[in-house]
Formats: sequence, C-alpha cells, structure tokens
Amino acid sequence: MDAVVTEKAKLSVKNLNFFYGSFQGLKNVSVPLYDRKVTAFIGPSGCGKSTLLRVLNRIYMLYPNQRAEGEVTLDGEDILHGKQDLNLLRARVGMVFQKPTPFPMTIYDNIAFGIKLYERLPRSELDGRVEDALQRAALWGEVKDKLKESGLSLSGGQQQRLCIARTVATRPEVILFDEPCSALDPISTAKIEELIDELVKDYTIVIVTHNMQQASRTSDYTAFMYLGELIEFGDTEKIFTAPTNKKTEQYITGRFG
Amino acid sequence: MADVAYESNPMTVSDTKIAAVKRSGAGDTRFRALTVAAAAIVVLLFLGMMAALTEGAWLSIRTFGASFLTSQKWNPVTEQFGALAAVYGTVVTSVLAMLLAVPVGIGIAIFLTEICPRTLRRPIGIAIELLAGIPSIVYGIWGLFVFAPYFQEHVQPWLVDAVADIPVLGTIFEGPPYGIGVFTASFILSIMILPFISAVTRDVFETVPATLKESAYALGCTTSEVVGSVVLPFSRAGVVGGAMLALGRALGETMAVTFVIGNSHRIHASLFAPGTTISATVANEFTEAVGDIYHSSLIEAGLILFFISFVVLAAAQIMLRILHKRAGGVAA
Repeated sequence: MDAVVTEKAKLSVKNLNFFYGSFQGLKNVSVPLYDRKVTAFIGPSGCGKSTLLRVLNRIYMLYPNQRAEGEVTLDGEDILHGKQDLNLLRARVGMVFQKPTPFPMTIYDNIAFGIKLYERLPRSELDGRVEDALQRAALWGEVKDKLKESGLSLSGGQQQRLCIARTVATRPEVILFDEPCSALDPISTAKIEELIDELVKDYTIVIVTHNMQQASRTSDYTAFMYLGELIEFGDTEKIFTAPTNKKTEQYITGRFG
Repeated sequence: MADVAYESNPMTVSDTKIAAVKRSGAGDTRFRALTVAAAAIVVLLFLGMMAALTEGAWLSIRTFGASFLTSQKWNPVTEQFGALAAVYGTVVTSVLAMLLAVPVGIGIAIFLTEICPRTLRRPIGIAIELLAGIPSIVYGIWGLFVFAPYFQEHVQPWLVDAVADIPVLGTIFEGPPYGIGVFTASFILSIMILPFISAVTRDVFETVPATLKESAYALGCTTSEVVGSVVLPFSRAGVVGGAMLALGRALGETMAVTFVIGNSHRIHASLFAPGTTISATVANEFTEAVGDIYHSSLIEAGLILFFISFVVLAAAQIMLRILHKRAGGVAA
C-alpha cells in the first residue's frame, strides 16, 4: 500500500456521479490514475467501467442527455467544469475504442490526420512522425510498403494497431483503451498487450476490459466496479491474490459476472 | 462417414419429412420463377420503350439526321425541327438546379445529423418529407404567380444592373426582367429536388458508425473536421447516388418547368432569357402537333431525353465505382 501513496496521480477522480438522463450510471466514484502506470477497470457488464472511461476525455459530451458531477483533475487541473477546451483535453487524453475505427482514408493519412489537427509540419517531418507512430504501434513492418492503401484494407488486429498509432501520433499524455481486444483474435490480442507494456513507459494508460487475465497481465493497478460503484482499488497483484472485498473475490474467481 | 451412417440407417429420415422437403422444394421453384418473371418485366419494359420511341422517331431521324441535334430551328410551319435549344435548356436547367440544391441539401443533412438538437430533428425531417410530397403542378403555379413576379420586380432589375459591367456575369445575367426564364425554372427545380438530396444524404450520414465519429472527436476534432474528414468521405458514394437521383428527377421534370421557363426555342447566353426543355416542349406541343414529321420530331426529342437520363445514370455508376475503389471498399 505504501507504493500507492507515493505514486503521482496523473488523473484523479473524486466523488464522481454520472447520469444517463435520470439513470445514475456512476455513484460517488473516486479513483487515482497514476502517471506512467496501467490501471485496469474490471467488472461485469453495465457496472460503469466504460462510463468512467468516457468521462476522462469527456467524450460523453457528444450526447446531450448525459452529464457528470464531481471532480476530475488532470495534473491537478479541473477538467470537468469551466471553460476547459474539449479539443485540447482530447489532444492530451487519447482514446482507443472497442472496435477498430480506421478513417476512410489511406494508412498514411489515418496517422497524419491527427497530427495535422495540431501541427503544421513540412512533409519530411510529417513522414517521420507517421513512421514513428507506426513503429510504436508495432505496425510499421507490416504496412511500410502500402502506406497509400486504404486503412480498411488491413486485418482487424492491424486496424486496431493503426488506431493506436493514430492516437499515439498526436502525442497525448494519457491513453484510454475501451476493451481494445474484444473484437480481436488471441494473436492480435497478445500483440496489443505487448504494445501496452511498451507504451506505459511514456504514457499513463487506462484500460477497460472484460477479460480478467488481460487485466492481471497488463495492469499495475486494478479497479473493480459493480453497479456503478467502485468496490475496490489497489495493486493488481493484491486485487487478484488477496482482495479485501467479498464481491471482488467472487468476481475474480468467476462466481458471477 | 456421415454418408455411410445415413445409408446404413435409412429409417432416420421419415417419409413425411421427405414429402415435406419435396413440397417446399416445389414451392421454391415456383418462387424463383415468379421473381425471375418480375425481373424480366423490367427488362422487357425498357426494351419495349426503346423500340416504341425509336419507331415513332424514325421519320424524324431519317429526315433530319444529325442536324436534329445541331440545329435550334424549331419551326412547325416550315416543318423544320432541331432540338438543340431543348437539349441545351434541359441540361442547363438541371445542372444549375444541382449547383443550387446540392450544397444546401448537404448543409441541411449535416445540420440534421450532427448539429440539430434531438427534439427538433423530427419536425424538420417531416417538413422536408412534406416538401418532397408537393405535386409539381403546385410548384409550377407558385413559381408563375408568386415567385416570378416577385423576382421580376425586386431581384432581377437590381441584379442585371449590379453585374452589367462584369465581363462574364454581365452576359449571363442580362436582358429585360421577364420574371420567367431559364434561371427561374432552375430555381424552382432546385427547390423541388432539395428534399430528395437532403433526405437521401441524411439517411446516408446516419449510416456512419457512431464509434467512427467518436474516435474522430476523441482525437480532438471539431464538428466541422469530423464532417469534412470522416462523415463526408465515408458516405461519399451515397451522397453522389442521392444527387444523381435528384438529377434524374430534374432532367425529366415537366410541369413546373413548363410553367416558368417561357417556352422559347432559342438559345440565349443570358439565364434570364426564356428557353425550353425537352419535356416542356413535348408537354406543350404534343396535343397541337399536326403532321407526321412534327409528331415524330417530338418523339425523337423524347428519345433523346431517354438517352440523356441513361447516360447520366451510367456516368453516376462509373463515378461511384471510381469513388468506391479510391475509398478502398467502403460501402455506401
């Protein structure tokens, strides 16, 4: 537990309540997300783990009947209220979705698109950034000869790594993964998990997953959620070996969920 | 292995089951025959229409040959007919209508799918559908009695003066303000095809997966960047398809155009001058066409319209295929 206290929280959620219309999706959730660590949100369907993730880059704001109350800070700065620039926030907090979502353009443009939103670069530098992003997503070797082909021509696993490269290319500080492997085969899943191990050296990572093995393999910290509440948060190793809460124990031993 | 098992144990399939399968097999054959017949009707109708038009136009084709397409002389008295003015009018009014309606239609669709508050979406959507349901004769009457006089009095004189000294624009918008004319016809046409474009485009925009848009927003895109870089490219094929459908309607639209175009068989550089279209010509003159050659010429004009529509549709198909290839197989 000592380690937990000394870590620096990149993002901090305090007393967060979330509403879909009149339905309360999150109840008084508080959780720290430590700098350059992987934090996993686990829990049965509908427990609010994706909802919590969607608050962190405020993507829920696209839907007018959804609202969040409480406090979320990024480097100590409030991001939930006031005049927070949403586009700037999303430049700092990137997101990778459940299903691969390559844009309808070439592989090269899929990556360059995000970069060009924020920076005007000469062609040679842009080429370098695109290559770097694809390298980081472990996709460069597979696509370097077909950068001009459509992003949709890739396999599902490659598309997901393209989406990760796209997110990395904009140089965010935090990357949110919303069940990034649920549409992928085991080999692609293993590649993405390896990638997360690599990315955590530079980025704060939050991953929502249904797969408990995945949570235990990839994360440093785990938050177990149930019915909109955060039941337990702590070292992944501790959560999976000696959970303090009975519900957590039941879930990770597969007795419900 | 499975086959052997079946053969050695034929009693596993009961006779009633076999009979049932045979019965539904016969039903399926009949079902196939019916659908083939339904499809054949379309092809036969198309071929029959082609044949009938060609036969009816034969006298005119033989008499005037290629000059029917190159001459704008349309003189029932001397029985000299050339459809150039009508073809020109058809193409110009349709293209101009598209130029006016496509940007507005896409704008409406973007507003409805991306920006409009949810509660307003339905009323506006219904209004657009109602606009599409108004009979063309109503547009014609409105154009002739309401729009044309207003346009003649308040807009045309001012516009003619304003652009008189500008080289190309001055020529396009010159001449006496009649109110009616090629421009008015195009304007009415654009209002008529607007609902089609916006309705089809809206439907296509709605097929863009929410997660695709979310991932663009998650990169930090603004709404206009999401629309420009994700929604439009994703739905390109569908938007082109919708526009072509509208163009098809504009090319063939008769009643409203006949009311407001002025029905003059002469090509003017000015859009404010009266003109005519193929369908307006046919509708106006068919009842009073005396003499075989007059009659036949009108039918040949119809055949040409048929051909133009066909070419437009074919061009649309080719265009869609090119777009499809470029987008790497994104379905409409």
